[in-house]
Amino acid sequence: MKVRQEIVGGAAIVRLSGQLMGGPEAETVRETIQTLLEQGHRNLLVDLGEVSWVNSTGLGLLISSHLLAANHAGVLRLVGMSKRIRDILTVTRLDTVFQVYDDEQTALASFQV
Amino acid sequence: MTPGSGDGTNAGQSPSAEPETPAAPVSRSDELRAQIAASEPERTVRCSIPSRLEMLTAVDQLTQSILQHIDCDDDSAAAIATSVIEAGTNAIQHGHRTRSEAPVDFTFHLGEHVIDIWVEDRGPGFDLDEALAIDPTSPAGLLDSHGRGIFIMRAMMDQVDFEIRDGEGVVVHLRKRYRPHTAS
Repeated sequence: MKVRQEIVGGAAIVRLSGQLMGGPEAETVRETIQTLLEQGHRNLLVDLGEVSWVNSTGLGLLISSHLLAANHAGVLRLVGMSKRIRDILTVTRLDTVFQVYDDEQTALASFQV
Repeated sequence: MTPGSGDGTNAGQSPSAEPETPAAPVSRSDELRAQIAASEPERTVRCSIPSRLEMLTAVDQLTQSILQHIDCDDDSAAAIATSVIEAGTNAIQHGHRTRSEAPVDFTFHLGEHVIDIWVEDRGPGFDLDEALAIDPTSPAGLLDSHGRGIFIMRAMMDQVDFEIRDGEGVVVHLRKRYRPHTAS
Protein backbone atom coordinates (compact mmCIF):
# COMPACT_ATOMS: atom_id res chain seq x y z
CA MET A 1 0.00 0.00 0.00
CA LYS A 2 1.42 3.33 -1.07
CA VAL A 3 0.02 6.59 0.24
CA ARG A 4 0.56 9.96 -1.40
CA GLN A 5 -1.06 13.26 -0.61
CA GLU A 6 -1.74 16.31 -2.67
CA ILE A 7 -3.44 19.60 -1.93
CA VAL A 8 -5.67 20.81 -4.74
CA GLY A 9 -7.61 23.99 -4.14
CA GLY A 10 -9.44 23.59 -0.87
CA ALA A 11 -9.17 19.82 -0.74
CA ALA A 12 -6.57 17.33 0.40
CA ILE A 13 -6.35 14.30 -1.84
CA VAL A 14 -5.03 11.05 -0.36
CA ARG A 15 -3.99 8.78 -3.22
CA LEU A 16 -3.75 5.10 -2.39
CA SER A 17 -2.29 2.33 -4.50
CA GLY A 18 -2.02 -1.40 -3.92
CA GLN A 19 -4.47 -3.28 -1.72
CA LEU A 20 -6.42 -1.78 1.16
CA MET A 21 -6.47 -4.65 3.62
CA GLY A 22 -5.53 -3.54 7.10
CA GLY A 23 -2.28 -4.35 8.82
CA PRO A 24 0.62 -2.01 9.57
CA GLU A 25 0.66 -0.48 6.10
CA ALA A 26 -2.94 0.60 6.44
CA GLU A 27 -2.05 2.49 9.60
CA THR A 28 -0.13 4.87 7.33
CA VAL A 29 -3.45 5.78 5.73
CA ARG A 30 -5.04 6.58 9.07
CA GLU A 31 -1.99 8.57 10.19
CA THR A 32 -1.98 10.56 6.95
CA ILE A 33 -5.64 11.47 7.37
CA GLN A 34 -5.13 12.31 11.05
CA THR A 35 -2.23 14.60 10.17
CA LEU A 36 -4.17 16.36 7.41
CA LEU A 37 -7.06 17.00 9.79
CA GLU A 38 -4.71 18.31 12.47
CA GLN A 39 -3.23 20.63 9.85
CA GLY A 40 -6.69 22.10 9.35
CA HIS A 41 -7.78 20.36 6.17
CA ARG A 42 -11.50 19.63 6.26
CA ASN A 43 -12.21 18.44 2.73
CA LEU A 44 -10.59 15.05 2.23
CA LEU A 45 -10.79 13.03 -0.96
CA VAL A 46 -9.50 9.45 -0.93
CA ASP A 47 -8.47 8.35 -4.42
CA LEU A 48 -8.88 4.57 -4.83
CA GLY A 49 -8.09 4.59 -8.54
CA GLU A 50 -4.97 2.49 -8.10
CA VAL A 51 -6.35 0.17 -5.44
CA SER A 52 -6.96 -3.30 -6.85
CA TRP A 53 -9.05 -4.61 -3.96
CA VAL A 54 -10.38 -3.80 -0.51
CA ASN A 55 -11.24 -6.32 2.17
CA SER A 56 -13.51 -5.90 5.21
CA THR A 57 -10.58 -4.63 7.27
CA GLY A 58 -9.87 -2.03 4.62
CA LEU A 59 -13.52 -1.01 4.72
CA GLY A 60 -13.17 -0.63 8.49
CA LEU A 61 -10.25 1.69 7.91
CA LEU A 62 -12.33 3.84 5.56
CA ILE A 63 -15.15 3.97 8.12
CA SER A 64 -12.87 4.95 10.99
CA SER A 65 -11.29 7.61 8.75
CA HIS A 66 -14.76 8.89 7.87
CA LEU A 67 -15.62 9.15 11.57
CA LEU A 68 -12.29 10.80 12.31
CA ALA A 69 -12.98 13.43 9.68
CA ALA A 70 -16.49 14.00 11.02
CA ASN A 71 -15.08 14.48 14.53
CA HIS A 72 -12.93 17.26 13.11
CA ALA A 73 -15.93 18.83 11.34
CA GLY A 74 -14.55 17.54 8.07
CA VAL A 75 -15.80 15.34 5.27
CA LEU A 76 -14.18 12.37 3.56
CA ARG A 77 -15.26 11.39 0.07
CA LEU A 78 -14.15 8.65 -2.31
CA VAL A 79 -13.21 8.74 -5.96
CA GLY A 80 -11.98 6.44 -8.71
CA MET A 81 -12.92 3.02 -7.49
CA SER A 82 -13.11 -0.10 -9.62
CA LYS A 83 -16.31 -2.07 -10.10
CA ARG A 84 -15.01 -4.68 -7.69
CA ILE A 85 -14.64 -2.10 -4.90
CA ARG A 86 -17.92 -0.42 -5.78
CA ASP A 87 -19.66 -3.80 -5.53
CA ILE A 88 -18.40 -4.36 -2.00
CA LEU A 89 -19.61 -0.89 -0.99
CA THR A 90 -23.01 -1.65 -2.48
CA VAL A 91 -23.36 -5.04 -0.79
CA THR A 92 -22.44 -3.59 2.60
CA ARG A 93 -24.56 -0.48 1.94
CA LEU A 94 -21.58 1.69 2.69
CA ASP A 95 -22.52 3.54 -0.49
CA THR A 96 -25.10 5.20 1.79
CA VAL A 97 -22.33 6.37 4.13
CA PHE A 98 -19.74 7.59 1.64
CA GLN A 99 -20.19 10.06 -1.16
CA VAL A 100 -18.57 8.35 -4.13
CA TYR A 101 -17.48 10.03 -7.36
CA ASP A 102 -16.38 8.62 -10.67
CA ASP A 103 -13.97 11.40 -11.53
CA GLU A 104 -11.75 13.71 -9.56
CA GLN A 105 -13.00 16.94 -11.10
CA THR A 106 -16.57 16.27 -10.03
CA ALA A 107 -15.41 15.15 -6.59
CA LEU A 108 -13.37 18.33 -6.07
CA ALA A 109 -16.25 20.46 -7.28
CA SER A 110 -18.50 18.83 -4.67
CA PHE A 111 -16.47 20.48 -1.92
CA GLN A 112 -17.23 23.93 -3.33
CA VAL A 113 -21.00 23.63 -2.78
CA MET B 1 -8.35 -33.24 17.07
CA THR B 2 -10.09 -35.56 19.45
CA PRO B 3 -11.69 -38.41 17.57
CA GLY B 4 -15.42 -37.97 17.29
CA SER B 5 -15.33 -34.33 18.37
CA GLY B 6 -16.39 -31.25 16.46
CA ASP B 7 -19.04 -30.83 13.88
CA GLY B 8 -17.73 -33.43 11.48
CA THR B 9 -18.83 -36.93 10.87
CA ASN B 10 -16.68 -40.01 11.09
CA ALA B 11 -17.38 -41.09 7.55
CA GLY B 12 -14.80 -43.50 6.24
CA GLN B 13 -14.09 -45.13 9.60
CA SER B 14 -15.06 -48.68 10.13
CA PRO B 15 -17.20 -49.32 13.23
CA SER B 16 -14.66 -51.96 14.16
CA ALA B 17 -11.67 -49.62 13.93
CA GLU B 18 -9.10 -50.23 16.64
CA PRO B 19 -9.57 -47.64 19.39
CA GLU B 20 -5.81 -47.36 20.03
CA THR B 21 -5.14 -46.29 16.45
CA PRO B 22 -8.04 -44.02 15.69
CA ALA B 23 -8.21 -42.38 12.32
CA ALA B 24 -8.67 -38.65 12.37
CA PRO B 25 -12.31 -37.73 12.07
CA VAL B 26 -13.30 -36.61 8.63
CA SER B 27 -15.53 -33.61 8.46
CA ARG B 28 -18.15 -33.22 5.77
CA SER B 29 -16.12 -30.43 4.18
CA ASP B 30 -12.99 -32.55 4.30
CA GLU B 31 -14.80 -35.54 2.90
CA LEU B 32 -16.32 -33.66 0.00
CA ARG B 33 -13.06 -31.93 -0.75
CA ALA B 34 -11.12 -35.20 -0.63
CA GLN B 35 -13.63 -36.97 -2.87
CA ILE B 36 -13.51 -34.20 -5.42
CA ALA B 37 -9.72 -33.98 -5.39
CA ALA B 38 -9.40 -37.75 -5.79
CA SER B 39 -11.95 -38.05 -8.56
CA GLU B 40 -11.07 -34.92 -10.52
CA PRO B 41 -7.49 -33.92 -9.75
CA GLU B 42 -7.27 -32.18 -13.10
CA ARG B 43 -9.94 -29.76 -11.91
CA THR B 44 -8.41 -29.03 -8.51
CA VAL B 45 -5.96 -26.25 -7.64
CA ARG B 46 -4.37 -25.84 -4.23
CA CYS B 47 -2.17 -23.28 -2.55
CA SER B 48 -0.99 -22.61 0.97
CA ILE B 49 0.23 -19.32 2.42
CA PRO B 50 1.64 -18.22 5.76
CA SER B 51 -0.68 -16.10 7.88
CA ARG B 52 0.31 -12.70 6.58
CA LEU B 53 -2.21 -10.35 5.04
CA GLU B 54 0.18 -9.30 2.28
CA MET B 55 0.25 -12.92 1.06
CA LEU B 56 -3.40 -12.50 0.08
CA THR B 57 -2.14 -10.55 -2.91
CA ALA B 58 -0.66 -13.78 -4.29
CA VAL B 59 -3.91 -15.63 -3.57
CA ASP B 60 -5.86 -12.95 -5.41
CA GLN B 61 -3.57 -13.25 -8.42
CA LEU B 62 -4.08 -17.02 -8.44
CA THR B 63 -7.83 -16.56 -8.11
CA GLN B 64 -7.87 -14.09 -11.00
CA SER B 65 -5.91 -16.52 -13.16
CA ILE B 66 -8.32 -19.35 -12.36
CA LEU B 67 -11.36 -17.20 -13.07
CA GLN B 68 -9.88 -16.13 -16.37
CA HIS B 69 -9.05 -19.74 -17.22
CA ILE B 70 -12.64 -20.88 -16.61
CA ASP B 71 -14.00 -17.91 -18.57
CA CYS B 72 -16.01 -16.65 -15.60
CA ASP B 73 -18.31 -13.68 -16.15
CA ASP B 74 -17.19 -10.35 -14.68
CA ASP B 75 -19.85 -10.00 -11.96
CA SER B 76 -19.29 -13.51 -10.62
CA ALA B 77 -15.51 -13.12 -10.86
CA ALA B 78 -15.57 -9.97 -8.72
CA ALA B 79 -17.80 -11.68 -6.15
CA ILE B 80 -15.68 -14.83 -6.02
CA ALA B 81 -12.37 -12.98 -5.76
CA THR B 82 -13.71 -10.71 -3.03
CA SER B 83 -15.10 -13.67 -1.07
CA VAL B 84 -11.84 -15.63 -1.28
CA ILE B 85 -10.01 -12.61 0.11
CA GLU B 86 -12.57 -12.29 2.92
CA ALA B 87 -12.22 -15.95 3.86
CA GLY B 88 -8.44 -15.58 3.86
CA THR B 89 -8.64 -12.39 5.90
CA ASN B 90 -10.79 -14.11 8.51
CA ALA B 91 -8.39 -17.05 8.70
CA ILE B 92 -5.37 -14.79 9.19
CA GLN B 93 -6.84 -12.16 11.46
CA HIS B 94 -9.30 -14.18 13.53
CA GLY B 95 -8.08 -17.73 13.06
CA HIS B 96 -4.36 -17.43 13.53
CA ARG B 97 -4.04 -13.89 14.93
CA THR B 98 -0.33 -13.59 15.77
CA ARG B 99 0.66 -17.07 14.51
CA SER B 100 2.13 -15.93 11.24
CA GLU B 101 3.77 -19.33 10.68
CA ALA B 102 0.41 -21.14 10.69
CA PRO B 103 -0.62 -22.01 7.12
CA VAL B 104 -3.87 -21.06 5.45
CA ASP B 105 -4.85 -23.56 2.75
CA PHE B 106 -6.91 -22.75 -0.31
CA THR B 107 -8.47 -25.45 -2.51
CA PHE B 108 -10.30 -24.54 -5.72
CA HIS B 109 -12.43 -27.04 -7.58
CA LEU B 110 -13.42 -26.00 -11.07
CA GLY B 111 -16.73 -27.56 -11.96
CA GLU B 112 -19.01 -27.12 -14.94
CA HIS B 113 -20.05 -23.47 -14.54
CA VAL B 114 -19.66 -23.76 -10.79
CA ILE B 115 -16.63 -23.17 -8.59
CA ASP B 116 -16.10 -24.53 -5.08
CA ILE B 117 -13.44 -23.09 -2.81
CA TRP B 118 -12.32 -24.27 0.61
CA VAL B 119 -10.28 -22.03 2.91
CA GLU B 120 -8.84 -23.74 5.96
CA ASP B 121 -7.07 -22.41 9.03
CA ARG B 122 -5.73 -24.01 12.22
CA GLY B 123 -7.25 -21.51 14.62
CA PRO B 124 -9.45 -22.01 17.67
CA GLY B 125 -12.71 -21.41 15.81
CA PHE B 126 -15.40 -18.90 16.65
CA ASP B 127 -19.04 -18.60 17.64
CA LEU B 128 -20.83 -18.86 14.30
CA ASP B 129 -24.24 -17.90 15.71
CA GLU B 130 -22.76 -14.76 17.19
CA ALA B 131 -21.06 -13.88 13.93
CA LEU B 132 -24.23 -14.48 11.92
CA ALA B 133 -26.23 -12.26 14.27
CA ILE B 134 -24.21 -9.20 13.24
CA ASP B 135 -26.01 -6.97 10.74
CA PRO B 136 -23.46 -4.51 9.37
CA THR B 137 -26.19 -2.81 7.34
CA SER B 138 -28.21 -1.78 10.41
CA PRO B 139 -27.99 1.92 11.36
CA ALA B 140 -25.54 1.14 14.16
CA GLY B 141 -23.69 -1.50 12.17
CA LEU B 142 -23.03 0.78 9.22
CA LEU B 143 -20.54 2.84 11.21
CA ASP B 144 -18.94 -0.11 12.97
CA SER B 145 -15.50 -0.76 11.53
CA HIS B 146 -15.70 -4.52 12.19
CA GLY B 147 -17.93 -7.50 11.48
CA ARG B 148 -18.41 -7.49 7.70
CA GLY B 149 -16.38 -10.48 6.51
CA ILE B 150 -18.97 -13.23 6.79
CA PHE B 151 -21.75 -10.90 5.69
CA ILE B 152 -19.84 -10.08 2.49
CA MET B 153 -19.18 -13.73 1.68
CA ARG B 154 -22.82 -14.69 2.23
CA ALA B 155 -24.04 -11.77 0.14
CA MET B 156 -21.75 -12.52 -2.78
CA MET B 157 -21.69 -16.32 -2.99
CA ASP B 158 -24.47 -18.83 -3.66
CA GLN B 159 -23.47 -21.01 -0.73
CA VAL B 160 -21.22 -20.50 2.30
CA ASP B 161 -20.65 -23.26 4.86
CA PHE B 162 -18.51 -23.32 7.95
CA GLU B 163 -16.91 -26.39 9.48
CA ILE B 164 -15.77 -25.38 12.95
CA ARG B 165 -13.64 -28.10 14.46
CA ASP B 166 -13.81 -27.39 18.13
CA GLY B 167 -10.45 -25.71 18.61
CA GLU B 168 -8.75 -27.47 15.70
CA GLY B 169 -9.39 -25.09 12.85
CA VAL B 170 -12.10 -23.78 10.58
CA VAL B 171 -12.92 -24.70 7.00
CA VAL B 172 -14.99 -22.23 5.01
CA HIS B 173 -16.60 -23.62 1.89
CA LEU B 174 -17.66 -21.16 -0.80
CA ARG B 175 -19.67 -22.08 -3.87
CA LYS B 176 -20.83 -20.00 -6.80
CA ARG B 177 -22.31 -20.72 -10.18
CA TYR B 178 -21.22 -18.49 -13.02
CA ARG B 179 -21.95 -17.77 -16.65
CA PRO B 180 -19.27 -18.08 -19.28
CA HIS B 181 -17.81 -14.63 -19.89
CA THR B 182 -18.15 -15.05 -23.63
CA ALA B 183 -21.91 -15.57 -23.19
CA SER B 184 -22.42 -12.50 -21.01
